[in-house]
Amino acid sequence: MSLEMTMSQSRESRGFPDYELPRLVRLTDNLHGAAFFLMKLLPARHMLDRAAADGRLKPGGTICETTSGTFGLALAMLAAVRGYKLILVSDPAIDEHLHKRLLELGVTLEIVEKPYEIGGFQTARLDRLRAALEANPGSFCPSQYGNADNPRAYAEVAEQIAERLGHVDCLVGTVGSGGSMSGIARFLRHLNPDLHVIGVDTPNSVVFGQPDGKRLLRGLGNSLVPPNVDHRQFDEVHWVGAAEAFLATRHLHQHHALYQGGTSGAAYLVADWWARTHPDRRVVTLFPDEGHRYVASIYNDDWLATLPGWTGVLPEAPQPVAHPSDVRPSWSSFRWDRRTLDEVLAAGTPVARDLAEAA
Amino acid sequence: MPGDVISRFASVRLGTRGNQRKEHGFGQVNGHHGEILQGIFPDDAGHLHRGLVTLPCNIVSSTAVFRPAPGNLVTVPDDKLKAAEAARLTLDSLGLHDQGGHLTVESTIPVGLGMGSSTADVVAAIRAVADAHGAALGADEVARLAVRAETASDSIMHGDLTVLFAQREGIVLEHLGPALPPLEVLSVNTAPGALVDTVKQPPAEYDEWEIQAFRPLRGMLRRAIRTGDAALLGRVATASARISQRHLPKPAFEEINAIAASTGALGIQVAHSGTVVGLLFDPRNPATVRRVAEAAARLEAFGLPPAFHFRTDAVEVRHVA
Repeated sequence: MSLEMTMSQSRESRGFPDYELPRLVRLTDNLHGAAFFLMKLLPARHMLDRAAADGRLKPGGTICETTSGTFGLALAMLAAVRGYKLILVSDPAIDEHLHKRLLELGVTLEIVEKPYEIGGFQTARLDRLRAALEANPGSFCPSQYGNADNPRAYAEVAEQIAERLGHVDCLVGTVGSGGSMSGIARFLRHLNPDLHVIGVDTPNSVVFGQPDGKRLLRGLGNSLVPPNVDHRQFDEVHWVGAAEAFLATRHLHQHHALYQGGTSGAAYLVADWWARTHPDRRVVTLFPDEGHRYVASIYNDDWLATLPGWTGVLPEAPQPVAHPSDVRPSWSSFRWDRRTLDEVLAAGTPVARDLAEAA
Repeated sequence: MPGDVISRFASVRLGTRGNQRKEHGFGQVNGHHGEILQGIFPDDAGHLHRGLVTLPCNIVSSTAVFRPAPGNLVTVPDDKLKAAEAARLTLDSLGLHDQGGHLTVESTIPVGLGMGSSTADVVAAIRAVADAHGAALGADEVARLAVRAETASDSIMHGDLTVLFAQREGIVLEHLGPALPPLEVLSVNTAPGALVDTVKQPPAEYDEWEIQAFRPLRGMLRRAIRTGDAALLGRVATASARISQRHLPKPAFEEINAIAASTGALGIQVAHSGTVVGLLFDPRNPATVRRVAEAAARLEAFGLPPAFHFRTDAVEVRHVA
């Protein structure tokens, strides 16, 4: 029957199965970190497997995607060993070393040089992506923000957590495409409806209702709301600024010997606080990538000292806010209560709150 | 054909055909109470298979006696068609194509509730025929014959070993451990009087999220068995029952689940192709006797009086031939 024949691609095609899953590290009595080499390898491989299984991606075919981050690197690694042509659309903000690495892996890199007056680089990149897809008929676009295979890929991480840790009370992780946190949260909640889920975002990201703006902390947050973010999975949302995230990243290395990237620091800051304030509950948090790409930045004291708002002191606790629009440049927290984005924004607009307080 | 392979092996093992034939062969196997987990699972190569993990119920069983004779195969009662088919397949696999005999099957397993009555008859018949000819069939051989006789089989031929069993292929996808952590099971038939043809039902069409969701269930089950954690087992069973509810809904599922939760049960499990639901309790907890009684009273007040309760590690009831 058809069901049995599909989804059987993974072990027969080349890939990096031993690099896909995180290593689980116990940080304190009740806090475990899931440290990935490159988290995006798992969803990238799953999306390519599924597309290959149902014919959207042909052997030797072309893949087009817009990304300037680790999802592009994961696609490039898989395309290199599986013989696909890969076209990535990016902008001048792409990291110089990542740029070189992608070229070495055979990627055709299209850099959009100028932002649109309306819509900025995001819209300009989407236009260039559309042009690339049209110029390459039959090519496949993984669309990590909207592809349901992205969150579904993370069943394997949920399996690993369930097998290694058994019962988990709280899951903490950063949110960018929505794949990892929405995916793992829903899978683990199927086994534990009481699972407490904390999403970590950054100020000036629209994912959980902040106005769009310039963000120094990359790899989490977004200038659009990806359909893969399932807002109803989140009990709590925190917004972490760049300076405190980077300091927490260094803390994670200094105290737990884990050399991870800046998003890991943001997740660690929040997870460590929640674990300290709930000592009888078991917490697991996700560390999406390693620190080697950040030698000249996060792991460089001189660079850190130039950051706006740099104090060199890690905050003890978040500042609770009553509405996402109240979020400040530094660590804030909000009771999301498994609501949709619309519900949160409508229920708690400043005007509505003023009326409620006056009543 | 796998059967030809089996018959070659069997011929060798039997030596001169008929020398080891007994006057009577005997076969017996216990029933089950549905499944802890049923869904779709990848094998070691990444290929997907339908699979299940059975919850054993050792207080009910099927027994078969086979008396070899030349000519036709006669089965009593004569409506045990699958058991008769299984006996025929077993004779053929032993190379005894012209051999017939007299097969009697008796069972204490209720029919149509998803408690394995059909597979138990089949397995008892296979074992009785094999026993009559001095052939020791392994569980894997019995499973292959059972699937050929009835299309989909339960894993009861594996006894107390806990296996993830591909019920439509008769193969073990994963050996999970020697036995499940012990459970006290309070049994409810959610549709008394309504017989489900557990074999004729079309297999569930799981969606892509569900197919992936079975992975963490399997992961937690491995841990539950490895560490003897009955509470984790209850979580896995409840999660599997929730998915099953979208495909073969049990009447009053939410009400039964609420009674389980409020009386301290570890969770609930269902017969994924039947009507029974089990409320799972930890027999090592001294409060369990009181909790089971309370749950039984609440279910009875609701209009679903539990039929019986049992321990999964209860001493097997053996029929003496």
